[in-house]
Amino acid sequence: MKESSLSQSLGVGIGLRAPHYHDLRARERCAGWLEAHTENYLGDGGYDLHVLTRLRERYPISLHGVGLGLGSTRGFSPEHLQRIAALVRRIDPCLVSEHLCWGAVADRSLNDLLPLPLTDAALALMCDRVTRMQDALQRQVLVENISTYLRFAGDDLDEPGFLNELALRTGCGILLDINNLYVNQCNHGTDAAAYIDAIATRHVGEIHLAGHLVTDLAVIDHHGDRVCEAVWKLYRRALCRFGDVPTLIEWDTDVPALDVLLDEAARARQCQDTFLAEAVHAA
Amino acid sequence: MLLESVQTDFAAALFDARRASTLLPSLLHPDKQTLERIALYRGNLLAAWQKALSNAFPVVRALVGDEFLDALARVYGHAHPSSSGDLNRFGEHFAAFIADFEHTQTLPYLADVAALEWIAHRAHYAANAIVLSHYRIGSLRPHQLLASRFTLHPACDWLDSGFPIAHIWLAHQPGATMELPKSLDRGEIALVARPRWRVEVVASSEGEIAALEKIRAGETLETAIEAGIEAQRSFDFAKALPRWLDLSLLTQASASHDV
Repeated sequence: MKESSLSQSLGVGIGLRAPHYHDLRARERCAGWLEAHTENYLGDGGYDLHVLTRLRERYPISLHGVGLGLGSTRGFSPEHLQRIAALVRRIDPCLVSEHLCWGAVADRSLNDLLPLPLTDAALALMCDRVTRMQDALQRQVLVENISTYLRFAGDDLDEPGFLNELALRTGCGILLDINNLYVNQCNHGTDAAAYIDAIATRHVGEIHLAGHLVTDLAVIDHHGDRVCEAVWKLYRRALCRFGDVPTLIEWDTDVPALDVLLDEAARARQCQDTFLAEAVHAA
Repeated sequence: MLLESVQTDFAAALFDARRASTLLPSLLHPDKQTLERIALYRGNLLAAWQKALSNAFPVVRALVGDEFLDALARVYGHAHPSSSGDLNRFGEHFAAFIADFEHTQTLPYLADVAALEWIAHRAHYAANAIVLSHYRIGSLRPHQLLASRFTLHPACDWLDSGFPIAHIWLAHQPGATMELPKSLDRGEIALVARPRWRVEVVASSEGEIAALEKIRAGETLETAIEAGIEAQRSFDFAKALPRWLDLSLLTQASASHDV
């Protein structure tokens, strides 16, 4: 690995949540970067945007969208995209991401990350929308794999194949959520390790780590717990394959004290450092 | 399998459990477990509605209780589905919905509480502006002051209600020391402002609102004062001006940008 890419690495970031505003403002810089949910900062002004602007002075900020619904056949909102573009101009984020999903029909928004059938038609639509988003933002975006409770019959591609093709055709990057891979492995019996091995290495621009909830019906991707051991193991596999990719600790439900997030971030950092030491040793 | 029809069927199954059977043939393993998993997405949708309304309408929630608000969210979400990927916009029609809904008629002031909370919610996200300071106003000679035209802060708005609406709102804020007014059959105008990032609600008067309307319309301060006195003989500009400055209500005409 080249020296320059080491110094440029963002390292490990944490999700920015309102309960931590005060701590993050009061403390010295304590994480590599922060990831904000785009939709929480689409207002014209006000306190949330003020805090984000101030934190931007000390942290690289990643903007992670949850509301655009790139794969919605109808109900895709150019106005929503314009609001995201305005926020991107204002914050100048280090990363911008959205999901491989849909979320609206013609007359209503469903405000969820819903699974797409992985068909050629869906791929063509996603390519069109990602290109539209990158044109509006004038920059590369990352597209994240989601966790799902359901899968469609009659897929034309498997998901890594779909994402590789999307990245190849549009120039977008891939945000690989390792917890989502694990959740889908539990829910659908897919092989998370094989998924990691099937993703083309050059496309992965960010990794997400989070906790989940095991229920009788399905494993729920609730982002409300520590990262489990199986996910840490998959993360180490991903580091070996994709290198020192910026990694995020996500925690959105029952948000704990900031130190709990930082503790998880330190563990991810440790995984990165171990990987780097081994990479240097091997070279 | 058309992508558009799959998404239409999926949406229908989230709004009506009986429609899930239409979606089922498109799915891998169209069995009982898959049906139950569709219900997980239905639960997500309901939870999103409940959370959005709970955030925007904390006083309505305090007045009716968590359980009733959750039930209201279910009916409201079906009557006025979200029209944006931004859930902060979801409560736009909630006040009108409450005004018409048969099971909220026992709380006749609830619709106005919701209307006021929506104004406060919008104020939280309104654009920033450079506000006029006491110092700046103090540097003007009286005739300059009277001839000045200002604009109102983008977060400034008000609600004229047949109920003591500002007092009802204030009595339900976290840590409130104020009791609910004893009599609820007197009207009140609530004025919403956002000094130093924090949304505040204060009781206003006809004279004050008449004056603020003139300022908003771009008239001089002198015209605004006259309108205030016309509307209400007791309107006292000497008391109103420092209060407006404390509430960060006035901004320089034509100089509105980020702070």
